[in-house]
Amino acid sequence: MSRHQLLSKAAAIVAALMCSPFAIAEMAPLDDAGMAEVSGRGGIYLSGDISINELGGPIQNDYFGRCNEQDKKCGARLAYQLKEGGGWMVLDEIRGMFAFEGLTLRVRSIDSGFGGDGELFNRDVIELGLPDTVRFNDVQFKIAASNTPRPTDPGFMQTDIFDVEMQGDVLMQGNLLVFPEGNP
Amino acid sequence: MTKVIGLPKACAALMLAATGVPGGVAWADMQSLDDGELSRIQGQSGITLEMDLQLSADRVSYYDDGRGAHLEGLKVGSSENPGQGAFHRTRIDIGADASLNLDYLVEDRRVEFSDIRLAGAPSVSMGGIFFDHSLQGTLSIREGGGVGGSGYTFDSAYTMTGGRLGYRTNGNSVFLDDITMNVEALGITLEQVGDTLELISENVTGNWKVGAIRFSDDPLIYGRATDASGAPLASYGGLEGDYRISSRTGIKAGGREGQGLRIDNETTIHSANFLYLDDGNALALRDITGEYRIYDLRIDVTNDNQGRPALGLTLGGLEGELAVGSVEVGPSGQSFGSVNLAFAFEDRAFNGRNYTNAVYLQGGGHQDAGAQGLRLAAEWSLSNADLSYTDNGNRVIVSGLQSWGQGDLTVNVTRNEIRNGTRFYDGLRIGFEDLSAGYRINGLRVGDENAPLQGGTELLLALGFYPAYEFDMDGHITLGAGGASGEGLTINSDIHVRNGKAAVVAAPYDEGAGEVPQKGLWLTEMTYDGHVRNMTVDVTEEGLAMATEEAWGTMDVGNVRVGTSDDGASFGRLRMQSYEKDSSALIRPGGAGDVCVGGSGSSAAACGALGGTWETRGDEGVSIAMAKVLAPAASDEKKNALLWETNRSVDGQGRPVNGSGTAILLNDIHTSDGGDFDGDGQDDNTYGIRTDLAVDVYPTRVIRTVDGVKRVEHPLGFAVQAQSSFKELSINNIDMIHPVGGAQTAVYGAVLQNVDIRANLTATPIP
Repeated sequence: MSRHQLLSKAAAIVAALMCSPFAIAEMAPLDDAGMAEVSGRGGIYLSGDISINELGGPIQNDYFGRCNEQDKKCGARLAYQLKEGGGWMVLDEIRGMFAFEGLTLRVRSIDSGFGGDGELFNRDVIELGLPDTVRFNDVQFKIAASNTPRPTDPGFMQTDIFDVEMQGDVLMQGNLLVFPEGNP
Repeated sequence: MTKVIGLPKACAALMLAATGVPGGVAWADMQSLDDGELSRIQGQSGITLEMDLQLSADRVSYYDDGRGAHLEGLKVGSSENPGQGAFHRTRIDIGADASLNLDYLVEDRRVEFSDIRLAGAPSVSMGGIFFDHSLQGTLSIREGGGVGGSGYTFDSAYTMTGGRLGYRTNGNSVFLDDITMNVEALGITLEQVGDTLELISENVTGNWKVGAIRFSDDPLIYGRATDASGAPLASYGGLEGDYRISSRTGIKAGGREGQGLRIDNETTIHSANFLYLDDGNALALRDITGEYRIYDLRIDVTNDNQGRPALGLTLGGLEGELAVGSVEVGPSGQSFGSVNLAFAFEDRAFNGRNYTNAVYLQGGGHQDAGAQGLRLAAEWSLSNADLSYTDNGNRVIVSGLQSWGQGDLTVNVTRNEIRNGTRFYDGLRIGFEDLSAGYRINGLRVGDENAPLQGGTELLLALGFYPAYEFDMDGHITLGAGGASGEGLTINSDIHVRNGKAAVVAAPYDEGAGEVPQKGLWLTEMTYDGHVRNMTVDVTEEGLAMATEEAWGTMDVGNVRVGTSDDGASFGRLRMQSYEKDSSALIRPGGAGDVCVGGSGSSAAACGALGGTWETRGDEGVSIAMAKVLAPAASDEKKNALLWETNRSVDGQGRPVNGSGTAILLNDIHTSDGGDFDGDGQDDNTYGIRTDLAVDVYPTRVIRTVDGVKRVEHPLGFAVQAQSSFKELSINNIDMIHPVGGAQTAVYGAVLQNVDIRANLTATPIP
C-alpha cells in the first residue's frame, strides 16, 4: 500500500470513528479534473491556529494557576463518571497548540467519478476538505483516575496513569465525506 | 360637530401641511373679531391676525367608494392649558410680485384625536395620536409652477420647539418628547400636470432632535414628560439628525379599486446624519446618502385579502440605494465601518406563489390587549437586495438577498399585566400572528458588485443569521423603556416558530443559469419556542451593551438534511434546549488591530522572529464580548440539553414520528464557577462561557492547486481573533434512550474545568 493510499485510508478511518453511525464510503481524493466535474459551489476555506490553555485557564485556586506557577496545574481538566457513585476517569493538564491551513467545508453532489462509483452513489454529502498539514506544538494531556470530579473537593485523591505529548506535523490529505445512512 | 372632508380638500390640507403652514389654519372655523381684537390688527404693510384657537370635532371622515375611515375625537387647543385655545399669530403681506407672504407664530398647540376607526369595523380602533408643538416660521406663495405658468411656488422655513408626538392605546402611551426641528424648503412648486398634482422640492434642508422617547402606563399621565411624583417617565433614549434632500411627488386620483389616491415619489438624500442617544452616548449613522423611488403607491379604504375592513396601502414598487459612510459608537467616534444597501421591492413569485407589497391597516391590535391597537395585514416581496459592509476599505457584499412573506403584525402600547388571559409587558408590543415568511441569500461577493459570486454565506451563522430560512411564526417582541441604567431598551419576547426550514450551509439559488433548488445542510420540520425576559440594551461609552435576566428556548429539528430542504437525506432529529440567566454581550467598533498570526510578539519584528506573520487589520471592524451563563436545570422546559434521535417509526404519511426511535441525550448542561463561594448552598455561576471575538474583513491567505502547482493567493475574507474560556462546564448525565427499554444512563456526570481556548482564524468564501 502506497503512502498516499495509506493516508486516504487513515482519513476514512478517522471519519468513521468521528461520525459513526454515519456511513463513510471508501473514496479517493479528487484531482483537479475530478473537481471540475463536481456540481454545486460555495463553502468556506479555514486557516489558522488554535491554542488550549497556552498561558493557563481562568481558575485561580490551590490546584489551578498560571503556567509560570511551578506548583500549580495550568491545563484544562475533564472528569467523567461511568458508574453511579463510582470513581472518575480524568483527562488532566490538557494543553497545546494546533495550526492548519486549508480546511474546507461545503456541500457537494457526487454523481460521477470515483472510477464509476460516483454515478452509483449519486447523492449529496458534506465535504470536509482536510488540510495537508496540521502542526502540533506542545500538545499534551494526562490520563488519570480520581475519587472526586473537582480537585478542590474534600478528600480529593488522584492516580496519574500516563502522559501523552505530541509534537510535530501530521499529514492529513483527502476529503472527509459525511452523509446520512439508514433510518432517520 | 361632524365634518366630512372630500378628497380635494384632504389633498389641499396635505399640501399645506407639507409646506409647514399651521394645520389649524386649514380647518379652523372663522369667528368675528370684537373691537379690542380689531385694534390689535396692524395693517400698514399687510394685516396681522391673532387668535386663540380651540376646535373640536366628534368625527372627521374620509369616504372611498362608499367605505369610510373616521378620525374621532379631534381636538385642537392649548397643550399647556387644557380646555383653552392655542395662541396663533399670522402676519399677512402681499409682495410687489403679488406673492402672499405669511409670517406665523403658534404657541403650545395640541392637535389630537382619540381614535382612528373604519366604518366597516366600528368596534375596534387603531388608537389615538397627539401632537404638541410651537411653531414660528414664514411661508411665501407666488404664482407659477416649475414647468408651466400654472401652479404655485412656495418658500417655507420654520422652527418647531416643544414638540411631543404620541401614540396611545388603552390608556398606555409611547411618545417622542421635547422635539425641536428646523426646516428650510425654498422653491417648492405645486402644479397640475395632466391629471397629476406634482410637488417638486429641489432643496429641503433641516435638522431635528427628539429629547427622549418616553413610555407611560398611567392613563392619567397624558402628554406629560413626568409621572405623578414629578419624576421623568422612563425613556428609550433620544434621537438627533440632519438632512438635505430633494424630491418629486406626483399625486393622482384613483385607488387600486375605484376611488382612492395614487402617489409616486422620487427622493434623493444628498446628505444626512442620524444619532440614537442613550444617556448621552451615541450610536451614530453618519454620512448617509442615497435615493429611492416609490411608484404606484395606492391608498384605498378597502378590505384585505381575508375580507377584513382596512385602510389599504398597496405598492407597485420601491427601489433604491442607501449608503451609510460610518457606523459609530462611543465618545471617540470609533467606527465599525460603512454599509451600503441596494434594494428593490416588486411583485415576484417565490416557491410557486406570487407575492406583492401591501399593508392593510386595521384597528384592534392583539385581541386580548383591548379595543385600541393597530393591526397590519402585511405582504412583502423583496425581489433583490445587496448588502455590503466595508472595513478599512475592504468590502464584502451579501448578494442576492430575497425575502417574501405574509401575515399580521399587531402594534399595541401595553403595560405589565395579565389581561384576558394573555401576559403583557410594559412597552411597545409588536406581535406576529400567522406570519409566514422566508428569505435567502445567493452568495457573497468581495471587492465590488461585479466580482464573481462565491459561497461562504454560512459565515453569517456567527452573527445569528441562517443563509436561508423559511418559517411560520407567532409571538411578540415588547420594547420597554429604560435600560440597565437610565435610558435604553428593555426587551421581553415570546416567539413560536413552526414549519421552519433553515440552511446551515447553502449553495447559491442562481449561479447565472436560472433558479435552482438550493442545496446545503438544512434544519427542516423545525419548531422553535424562545422566551426572553428583561433583556436590556444600552449604548455605553464602550459600545452596545446587552444583558439578559433570563432566556430559554427549545429548537426541535425534525430532520437534519443534506441536499435540498424538501427531499435531502436525513441524519435524524435534533432537539436543542437552552436556558441562560444573567448572560451579557458587548458589541463595540474596532476589530483585532495589529495581530501576530501563528506566533507571538507585540511588534512586527518580534512576531516575525518567532515565526509569526504580522498583520495590520486597521481600526475598523467588529468586536464582540459575550458571557453566556448556562443555568442548571430548573424544569423540563428550562434547561440546557441536546438530544439526537434516529431510527424513528413513521406515520401513515411516511413522516418520522418524534420520540419513537433511539436517542442519545446530553442532559442538564450548565456552567459553574467551581464551588459555592458565597455560602448560599448552591454553586456560584457568574463567569459562564466568556468569548471575545474580533472580526475584520481582511486579505486572507489561500493555497490553490492549479494544474498540479500550488499557488498562494490573498482574497478578501473574514479574519477572526477569538478567545473563549470557562471555569467549569458540567453535563449532569448522558443517557441512551430506547423506544421500548427507556433511558439508560451511560455517563453519570462529566465536568470540564479551567478551559481557555484562543484562536486566530481566517475564513474565506470558496469560489
